[in-house]
Amino acid sequence: MNRLGSIAIRQPESVLEARKKIRLVTEAVTGDSLIATRLATVTSELARRMARENTSARIEVSIDDSQRGRVLSVDFVGQEHCPDAALLTSFFDDVETDGTNTVRGVLSLPGDLLLDDARLATLEAIVQQKGRDELMAEIQAKNLELQESLDNLRRTRSAKERMESELNIGRDIQMSMLPLSFPAFPDRREFDVHAALYPAREVGGDFYDLFLIDSDHFCFCVGDVSGKGVPAALFMAVTKTLIKSRAANDLSPASILSHVNTELSQRNESCMFVTVFLAILQTRTGEMVYANAGHNPPYVQRGAGGLVRLDQRHGPVIGAMEGIAYREDDTKLEPGDLVFLYTDGVTEAMNPASHLYSETRLQEVLTQNRCSVAKNAVDLGVEDVWRFQADADQADDITVMAVIYSGAAPEAALHELELRIENRLEEIDRVNATFNGFAERNELPAKLRRKLNLVFDELLNNIVSYAYDDESEHTIAIHIRLYDDRLTVMITDDGKPFNPFERQTPDVGLSVEDRPIGGLGVHLVRSVMDTATYERHGGNNVVRLEKRIDPDEQN
Amino acid sequence: MNISTENVESVTVVRLEGNLDTNTSSQAQDRLNQLIEGGASKILVNFADVDFVSSAGLRILLATAKKLTGSGGNLRISNLNETVAEVFEISGFSTILNVFGSEQEALQGF
Repeated sequence: MNRLGSIAIRQPESVLEARKKIRLVTEAVTGDSLIATRLATVTSELARRMARENTSARIEVSIDDSQRGRVLSVDFVGQEHCPDAALLTSFFDDVETDGTNTVRGVLSLPGDLLLDDARLATLEAIVQQKGRDELMAEIQAKNLELQESLDNLRRTRSAKERMESELNIGRDIQMSMLPLSFPAFPDRREFDVHAALYPAREVGGDFYDLFLIDSDHFCFCVGDVSGKGVPAALFMAVTKTLIKSRAANDLSPASILSHVNTELSQRNESCMFVTVFLAILQTRTGEMVYANAGHNPPYVQRGAGGLVRLDQRHGPVIGAMEGIAYREDDTKLEPGDLVFLYTDGVTEAMNPASHLYSETRLQEVLTQNRCSVAKNAVDLGVEDVWRFQADADQADDITVMAVIYSGAAPEAALHELELRIENRLEEIDRVNATFNGFAERNELPAKLRRKLNLVFDELLNNIVSYAYDDESEHTIAIHIRLYDDRLTVMITDDGKPFNPFERQTPDVGLSVEDRPIGGLGVHLVRSVMDTATYERHGGNNVVRLEKRIDPDEQN
Repeated sequence: MNISTENVESVTVVRLEGNLDTNTSSQAQDRLNQLIEGGASKILVNFADVDFVSSAGLRILLATAKKLTGSGGNLRISNLNETVAEVFEISGFSTILNVFGSEQEALQGF
């Protein structure tokens, strides 16, 4: 029998900690996150009941070799009352009770489960991780000593105030380590990132980071240090620093995490560990390489539709055991794809009825909403947690990060033409004459030139005729850019808001007699261009058009 | 835009030169109306020297066709360049107007 440890159940916080530990241990030995979540859920439910009925209760975790092979045993040990075994039966393979104060849930494990000393050490570290109240007691004791040795006259400051101030120091360390200024990269058009961290009342161990490794590699990560207080904050600070310094000349998330893990594991007497999801985005191509060390799986909202859970695991939590080689995966982000990262403070937020927010609810929010701005996605996630939590206490740090890939930055145009005209119809001739000169100098095919002539005639006619309610003079700006493979046009006017492309396609099948005159121009524009879009921007109507240039077309 | 006309038997051939667009269409419209008022009932518009046609141009062709069919006449079109032909195609005008490849083809049986 391999006893992994005991988890004391006293405070509501310890129920959450027990939940997390059971989830991590079960997932480590079964490799199945669904089973792990189910066991964690029933454990937290039973633990909550035990905490209500007993002044002191505990959960014992062990791995045994029994008649049914290798099993994970979870003993629920009450003091005054025997726990209710019925709850466990549909979650465990077997439930045993001694009729007095212990109920045992037994889960069969894979026969080929590797269980060497190192593995056992990792599992023990997870189970025996100090809980919030134990740490609090330690901090309290240290503070009392310090206070006595410093100055007996300053006893007016209670131990509690001291502790609060130490917690505040911890939180200051934590928050001062985070990049808090957004937009973080205002000059980068390829991606948009936003993140928010809401610390629990007492300091927690969440963190995130986002930085450019070089001009086209963007690194971002989210993590959660086990434990609370100043030690957790310091551990987080060290982790974050190690990640960033390693990433400076290492573009592999697997390699970065492997090195950071070894560094952290070597001198880790307090047996802390940290879950991390780390990704590196190649900003020109959208390739994203990522590694997950025991962290909640992020989601990718595909711009084209669909929600993908990045549920690959690439190794255990960081800091528990030396010498682990982490793995990594990659995926390609298309322009418009959004990556949503979070910590378990989101999915384990509790409402006043002690129900968990759950990953299911998060999935629903991400399925039903789309955001084109990273900040909106972060706000969306966080606000839904607040709605759910209502007036219940926030038990753990809540961290959310969103990264939107917008596609490679536009390359410089080969040739440009910029024109400003007055809002008079005669000006259209000037535009077409100037454009024809531009087309001739750049040897554009005649077909393309004529199509642009048509487009200018239609759109400028529309603007001059319908955009202005007054009689005064207005300026219309036309910006033409020629690239290797395409021509783009931007037309800007300060007329009243009007989206020409909202007009319905006319019925072009009607006979001469039935055909209404007009309504065709915009249809022609849309048909001869490859893309035609409208936006209202800063009090202007902005129409953007694009036409690909076929290199073989000479006519 | 330059507009010239020639009578070939009972058909009035109108040759346009330039673009049939926002700024030239009213001129072309006036000329076509003049011809109809002057008794022309079979009109052939030759586009050989027209670079592009916008919806403003299509509009006057449609108005002219309606006027002529209303009074028992007819409108024919010929010699579209590739871009103008595409515009006719997109707008459905290639099916509602009588379009011919050349002036000669258009005159046959008019």
